Amino acid sequence: MQTSPSPTISITYNDRVVRQFMLAAILWGVVAMTFGAIVAFMLNFWQINGGIYLFGKQWSIEWITFGRLRPLHTNAAIFAFVGNMMFAGIYHSTQRLVRARLASDWLSSIHFWGWQAIIVAAAITLPLGLSRGKEYAELIWPLNVAVTVIWVIFAINFFWTLARRNEPTLYVAIWFYIATIITVALLYVVNHLSLPTSLLHSYPVFGGVQDALVQWWYGHNAVAFFLTTPILGIMYYYVPKAVNRPVYSYRLSVIHFWSLVFIYIWAGPHHLLNTALPPWLQYLGMTFSLMLWAPSWGGMLNGLLTMKGAWDRMREDPIMKFFAVGITAYGMATFEGPLLAIKSVNALGHYTDWIIGHVHGGTLGWNGFMAAGMFYWLAPRLWNRPLYSRSLANFHFWIGLVGILLYVLAMWVSGITQGLMLNALNDSGTSLAYSNFLETLNAIRPLMFFRAIGGTLYLIGFILLAYNIYRTVTGAETVSTTVEVPRRTEPDQQGFKGSLLNPPVIYTSLIIIFACMWMLGGGFFLLTGLFGTIFTVLLAILHFQAGGRRWSQWYEKLLANSLGFTVLTFASVAIGGAIQIIPTVMVNRAANLEGRIQRVLTPLELAGRDIYIAEGCYNCHSQMIRMLKPDVMRYGDYSRLGESIYDYPFQWGSRRIGPDLAREGGFRSNDWHFDHFMDPRAISSAGSAAALPWMGHGSNMPAYPWLARKKIDVDALPSKIRTLRTLGVPFPDWTEDEIRAQVEAQALEIARDLQSKDRFLEPNSQMTAVIAYLQQLGLNEEVR
Amino acid sequence: MDDPSIKREPKDKGVTLLEHSYDGIQEFDQKLPNWWLFTLYGAILFSIAYWLVVHQVLQGTRDTLLLENELAQVEARRIEETVKLLDDANLLELSRNPEFVAAGSQVFMTNQCATCHGADLRSGPGMVGVNLVDSEWKHGGNPISIFNTITQGVASAGMPRHEGILSPTAIAQVTAYVLSMQEPTQP
Repeated sequence: MQTSPSPTISITYNDRVVRQFMLAAILWGVVAMTFGAIVAFMLNFWQINGGIYLFGKQWSIEWITFGRLRPLHTNAAIFAFVGNMMFAGIYHSTQRLVRARLASDWLSSIHFWGWQAIIVAAAITLPLGLSRGKEYAELIWPLNVAVTVIWVIFAINFFWTLARRNEPTLYVAIWFYIATIITVALLYVVNHLSLPTSLLHSYPVFGGVQDALVQWWYGHNAVAFFLTTPILGIMYYYVPKAVNRPVYSYRLSVIHFWSLVFIYIWAGPHHLLNTALPPWLQYLGMTFSLMLWAPSWGGMLNGLLTMKGAWDRMREDPIMKFFAVGITAYGMATFEGPLLAIKSVNALGHYTDWIIGHVHGGTLGWNGFMAAGMFYWLAPRLWNRPLYSRSLANFHFWIGLVGILLYVLAMWVSGITQGLMLNALNDSGTSLAYSNFLETLNAIRPLMFFRAIGGTLYLIGFILLAYNIYRTVTGAETVSTTVEVPRRTEPDQQGFKGSLLNPPVIYTSLIIIFACMWMLGGGFFLLTGLFGTIFTVLLAILHFQAGGRRWSQWYEKLLANSLGFTVLTFASVAIGGAIQIIPTVMVNRAANLEGRIQRVLTPLELAGRDIYIAEGCYNCHSQMIRMLKPDVMRYGDYSRLGESIYDYPFQWGSRRIGPDLAREGGFRSNDWHFDHFMDPRAISSAGSAAALPWMGHGSNMPAYPWLARKKIDVDALPSKIRTLRTLGVPFPDWTEDEIRAQVEAQALEIARDLQSKDRFLEPNSQMTAVIAYLQQLGLNEEVR
Repeated sequence: MDDPSIKREPKDKGVTLLEHSYDGIQEFDQKLPNWWLFTLYGAILFSIAYWLVVHQVLQGTRDTLLLENELAQVEARRIEETVKLLDDANLLELSRNPEFVAAGSQVFMTNQCATCHGADLRSGPGMVGVNLVDSEWKHGGNPISIFNTITQGVASAGMPRHEGILSPTAIAQVTAYVLSMQEPTQP
């Protein structure tokens, strides 16, 4: 926009908060990746899982089991590492793209210190076993409140800055930041709705299939809007800056932005394929994942083709290398995602290491390398001193790249191997080819080991980055850029109404409404929807051909109106979630049963269930027998919706490092479970030794001797049961004494049974509760 | 450069560099690559077709029916295989066949039987399973009873079910192995 000479103002950017976030991101990055390497090695060496093996004896430490530290690794990687990196990138680039200092230094500071405080609190509570039991949403409810408050502060600071901008229109990076801020807020709040039972514990308001759907709507879109869209925004600023070339295609930006934010939200159910989830949701999850492929690759193309013409600089410049490989990894991961979302491929890959490989291709490649490129680019500019060592940065790149390749290849082979073994039948087709789960674990042990090595190489590379940046910035003089910019005089060009009431928005809304009527309705709705969709599409095409130029003018005006843009973005992301979740949440419970209803837990079993969640058992054990022949043959009849209807939160799981437990109840004896908790390897091992003896051939589950030592928190049960009654679980209206008496009676029964087999367990120990819980898994009543 | 008369050939021509610039960043306005548009439209068309066929025509019943059919077939084959084996005399006969017994021993060792019953089948102090070589049988000691105990499991005693996990033949092999290991009954 060329405007007549207007008064200029001098702006000093707030680069202090950018430096803070960047250094915090590096620090937490080292922490998150270190924990990643530790939990990876735990799966190979039980000696460090839940304790330390020294002097021929296992010294148990409850805070360091895989089940408790894996959430620490994932939360640290997502919220601490990528979170801080994202804030640094967004604050740095937004100030420059809108030519305004951050609206409030005070809010910026609260944002920074509040976020770090949350991270520290998470790092303390997760090893203590304080967990909500939902993946990437484990933090306890007081921390959820804190995250929400800080996120709102971030949003206020950001949108206030946009309001004070001196750049009339919004650049594509800002679009992605807007989508990030509003969508993460929406996802986070809905998936963290809980009823507290105490200061440290709560139950989610959704249970069973509803919770499963909400959780993976969140889980999938946390990847989309926490790990993808902000980094795409960062790509759109730092890549053209680093290569000093124009962005490849503006119209590709427009198309891929809107298709990405609209389609991404629908794809969540692909995490629940072949389960008891109603089929229509599974089909939506699969087809929208396939449709997501092109929009994702639009981002990759715009990134890579912007670098075209500057490839020769790749040889010298580590930043270029990191960006090129980061964007390529994004392309790989977003091709693999739709592939894994195909139901038949998912039958093989789900619950295996393939998924772990897929995720790490994205996080190590895309997030980690984009972060590294951005840090190396920012450090000299924020501290006014050249990078300490370019060759060290190049070495970081190569060791990191080898790490990623080793990691991802090992996980591909591991996942496909284990998937094939678990699904294989013998020649006559009457039984499993690998009947002992541990045979499949032994097959992937060497691959898991290579993964741990790959992850460690990557960690070493990142530590080199930390050292390099440390040497660059210590003693350096910090700079905050000051620029002279023309002051924006003209107000927003088009009112709020004008952003919404115009042909493109009206056509799109009509097409979506008609398409939904057609897809989801029956009879009259179906026909109206079908013809309405076709008619509106044709009309839109004709209108566009007649006056398409005006449409792009409209879009340019929209870019000058941040409120209108934000509202449209919110509408695009809200539709998918609303259509999938609202019918499932509103539906009458009876329609969600499939002929069976879960038995309500006894108080002791409920106590056991909460310990199961606190210990993070769901990180390795699913409770969902999929509608697949090998699953049914291995674990029993496939799971019905009604069988988890009272599970707050649901425990369907996402990875089977150990076997499924949906029908574990009554499958083995109490003394088997006792022995297994005290020393899993004593009773769970494969007959044949592994190819490499030092890798072991028994279970890799940690021993849980503290469960025999620690007491059940009976006092907490009345409040828990009251809360679950509020949520609709038909517990009888027990008094506190009745609850206490029931706990004691059932615990005594288990302790007596163990005693008759020469095993001695205090009746009020946590282990009796967990055994009671495990022994009822799969109990249900027929209905109708 | 191209012939100037061919105006609309997009190479470097026809690519506009947009006027605006944000913090020095400019944008080309390249056309969307055709192959990219093809994947976008292709995926949308496939999704519509998939939805029409699988959801609206087949009504989503396909998965349940397929699975139930598959399971019924497995069950039929399993019964067929079981009927051939299930006969006390036959199982006793098999327990004297060294190859069959060796196969049973292999199954026994790889499937965690030994972790509860002991590698020598004699159980032992602190072990979950019972002694399998003495003459005492809790759930029936004739070959068919042993076969059934392994197949169905005994929930109250913590003996897991092996139906579907092991084939009838494998269960017969284990039965034969257990029978072959019986200590001679005391006179």
